[in-house]
Amino acid sequence: MSAIASADPAAQETFLREERKRYFTFMNLAFLMTALTGIELVLIYLPFPSQTIIYFTLIFLSLIKFVGVIFWFMHLLWDKAFLTIVFLFGMVIASGTIAALLLLFSEGYVDPAMGIYEAD
Amino acid sequence: MSTATSTAPLGAEKADENRSLIGLRRPDHTTGLADWLTTVDHKKIAIMYAIFSLAFLVIGGIEALIIRAQLAVAENQLITAEVYNQLFTMHGTTMVFLAVMPLSAAFFNYLVPLQIGARDVAFPRLNSFSLWTFVAGAIILNISWLFQAANLLGWFNPIDGRSDIVPAVGWFGYAPYTDTAYSGIGTDFWILGLQVLGIGSLAAAFNFIVTIFNMRAPGMLMMRLPVFTWMTLITSFLIIFAFPPLTVALGELMFDRYFGTSFFRVEGGGQPILWQHLFWIFGHPEVYILILPAMGIISEILPVFSRKPLFGYSLIIFSGAVIGFLGFAVWSHHMFTTGLGTVGTAAFSLLTMAIAVPTGVKIFNWIGTLWGGKIRFDVPMIYGLGFIWMFMMGGFSGIMHSSAPADSQQHDTYFVVAHFHYVLIGGSILALLAGLYFWFPKVTGRMWQGKLGHWSAIVIVIGLNWTFFPMHYLGMAGMPRRTHTYLEGTGWQALNFAVTIGAFILAVGILMFLIDMLRTYRKGVPAGNDPWNARTLEWSIPSPPPVHNFDRTPVVKARDAFWLHKFGTVDQKIGSVDPGAHGVHMPSKSWMPLLTSSGFLVFGIAMAMKSAGVPLMGYLAITGLSITLIGIYLWALEGPGGYHLHPEGEHRPH
Amino acid sequence: MSAATEVTESQEHVPTGMHPKKLMMWLFLASDCMFFGTLISTHLIYRKIYPDVGPDPRSIFDIELTTGSSFILLMSSLFMALAVSAIHKGELKSFRRNTVLVMIFGLLFLSGQVYEFYDFAVNKDFKLTTGTFGSSFYLMTGTHGVHVALGILWLGSLFAYSYTKHFKAETHAMDVEVAGLYWHFVDIVWIVIFTAVYLLEYVSF
Ligand code: HEM
Ligand SMILES: [Cu+2]
Repeated sequence: MSAIASADPAAQETFLREERKRYFTFMNLAFLMTALTGIELVLIYLPFPSQTIIYFTLIFLSLIKFVGVIFWFMHLLWDKAFLTIVFLFGMVIASGTIAALLLLFSEGYVDPAMGIYEAD
Repeated sequence: MSTATSTAPLGAEKADENRSLIGLRRPDHTTGLADWLTTVDHKKIAIMYAIFSLAFLVIGGIEALIIRAQLAVAENQLITAEVYNQLFTMHGTTMVFLAVMPLSAAFFNYLVPLQIGARDVAFPRLNSFSLWTFVAGAIILNISWLFQAANLLGWFNPIDGRSDIVPAVGWFGYAPYTDTAYSGIGTDFWILGLQVLGIGSLAAAFNFIVTIFNMRAPGMLMMRLPVFTWMTLITSFLIIFAFPPLTVALGELMFDRYFGTSFFRVEGGGQPILWQHLFWIFGHPEVYILILPAMGIISEILPVFSRKPLFGYSLIIFSGAVIGFLGFAVWSHHMFTTGLGTVGTAAFSLLTMAIAVPTGVKIFNWIGTLWGGKIRFDVPMIYGLGFIWMFMMGGFSGIMHSSAPADSQQHDTYFVVAHFHYVLIGGSILALLAGLYFWFPKVTGRMWQGKLGHWSAIVIVIGLNWTFFPMHYLGMAGMPRRTHTYLEGTGWQALNFAVTIGAFILAVGILMFLIDMLRTYRKGVPAGNDPWNARTLEWSIPSPPPVHNFDRTPVVKARDAFWLHKFGTVDQKIGSVDPGAHGVHMPSKSWMPLLTSSGFLVFGIAMAMKSAGVPLMGYLAITGLSITLIGIYLWALEGPGGYHLHPEGEHRPH
Repeated sequence: MSAATEVTESQEHVPTGMHPKKLMMWLFLASDCMFFGTLISTHLIYRKIYPDVGPDPRSIFDIELTTGSSFILLMSSLFMALAVSAIHKGELKSFRRNTVLVMIFGLLFLSGQVYEFYDFAVNKDFKLTTGTFGSSFYLMTGTHGVHVALGILWLGSLFAYSYTKHFKAETHAMDVEVAGLYWHFVDIVWIVIFTAVYLLEYVSF
């Protein structure tokens, strides 16, 4: 995709223009993500009555950052769709596995009488 | 860089290309051993994979025969319980990781570039790295036998409690047996060996996915790929998603053993059950890694010997993909008796039943391929038909396992042993042997004579049924797996004796196969390019194929390209791309992959020795990793190099 | 850089239009999702079934420091994106400047982690051997740290290589981009760890 490799000067021109635009996109994205990280920190100190909302907000914010990095910084937005598919496939299998494992291990799994908490 | 040199004047090119960018001489003109050690040719790499894996098939087979000899009669004391554990562990590990997987890899290597019309894989040196890493892992696992021998001779003495030197924890390495409290350095050999083998498999899988997507000849659309190549692709995807959990689980276990963590150690609160989950998250996809290449081979052989196109090409591929995907969602069917809870048990039970559907679809497709065909019973076909039938039997007992209540009776009995040997020997091994016969004339240019091959197929199928069919009954009668011996009066004696006889029949069959292969290699008659009147690109080039594969890159017009080339219309003939003035570019050979892999060998053995209490071994382990790191740097810095061949003009390597 | 520059010729006909190295890296990252997924599952499972093993995370975590680390890693990702952009434009100087910044921020992150580990182990008596919590926490964050360190090594090698006569912006842009993908991935793993392992400990139902 490197435009310098392409001999066509017109393509080169568009490419450079794109790259310059991306510079601002990257900057804005970085500011946004910095802000989100700050918000996350504030959120956990908020004496908000519903912790469930905080819980899901935190997850949602990290998801935004995640998507920001993979689609913009990692160029998925501008690259072949197949790369997105490959990566998301890995993500889907991994998240499915994590979710299934967390469901399979329940809190009731351990008998507190086992004395495990003294072990450390 | 090679593009740069290829436009340079001839003299300069010569000087540049013999030396790598770091000034070392490239081993391009080596012969003999050095040639094999440095080769990046996918065909030679494939041949080495095949030879190593057949050797391990024999080693694993001998282990199995000793196991069966021990179990032939009740209360037998041929070997101790300790050695028995070592034997079944090494048998399983060897067969899965050192026989079936690398033999499949041999086929990937040999066939994929040929079937897609490419000169080589996408990353030839990485391919060589995969091979040598596999060899390193295999040595780490099996060298434990030598250390055990040294121990018997009094030359080597691990510290207290570590003197169980050969792995003895089962191929699944269940916690807490793997804890330092219960097992010796055998477990360390096992962990390190599998870890290294995993690296090799992962590297190979990445390589093949990229190869299949990116190196296809013009016109070789995805839906024109031969089914074997498709199954390679799916298997490679399974590998890249299934091995990381194993890597992590082994890493955690290693930390438990070396650094006092408590991932699986009960004293520290670790949950042995977590190991089971992590292992089977890998383990179930792994069984499909073992069978999908075999299914691919069968899907190549059946159409050729029925003189019909494969029935339901797209459906076979689609069900392969579904099997691969669902394979990640059924792992807990290996753990029905651990108490997963009602919902968990029901879900995994249903998903396991569901996965039998695409498997069944494939079987119907193969039968559909045979239906109405002009069937020719040559050796690959006999093996192939054996595969369909035997694999189906294994599938049936698999479906019986999928019902959790039924499985709670069958679990950990010989019934399960029967199941997985039907799918693995009756499935994977029969198909791999079929493939060896099918492509042997292509690889060596020689064709067998006489009927030994036919007989080997028949004896193997008889031996296999004789060995494993009675195990269903033994399992139903309650005989547990992994037991060193059993008592008189259990009622298991007669069947066990029969099973042992069957095992030796099977061994005779394998021996006949090996003899036939050797005989054909030495005395076979010339096979010609296309002895089977086959359908795919690899049959369009000479046997054995030249080092550069295709003189001209083929241009593919349809599925079953070579068949249509022979019998289709004029515009279905395979076209070609002119290689141009500078000929076919060949990658340079390299020592670096071997060097990089050898670091793993040092690392693995040193870590096990560290566990045995040998002084200074930590430093040796670090040295091993440093060798790997240096290898990687030299590899990156030497540059790809390469030279040009002129298959149509003068044969002039620069 | 390891699988190296050997694909030059295989690009002759690339039916998918994807550069082999880039495809390779994305496959690796997809596979690495399972790798970190397993590590994170282990941690979350043990936190779930043994909420009281080891010290109370809120009493030992220094969440301001960790937030700072997250910010640092995010910034390094920004510079990485700029470095990749620079090399594609052929601006070698800008590439070098941004790469150095990435490495500096990476090192800062690592020092934060070393400080954190030291603080936990020495001052707060929370060690690798502190039950399942210590085991999974250190192995997971430590493995991430090793990924960061390898990334720094990789970028450092490319940086040094860019001063040799073999380095050309056109031919090596893809090497830089691939290293960049790896770096960004390490960043997103941290985004997940930061939320799942640190922040969510502060939410009490
Ligand atoms: C119709 C498809 C299949 C189904 C429904 C199925 C189901 C099962 C189930 C439920 C078990 C666990 C039994 C127990 O331990 O109680 C099992 C074990 C096993 N299966 Fe299958 N299976 C199928 C196909 C295969 C194939 C194709 C292979 C490999 C080529 C395979 C290899 C194995 C192995 C190796 C084990 C035993 C693992 C061990 O405990 O050591 N299976 N199968
Ligand atoms: Cu299974």
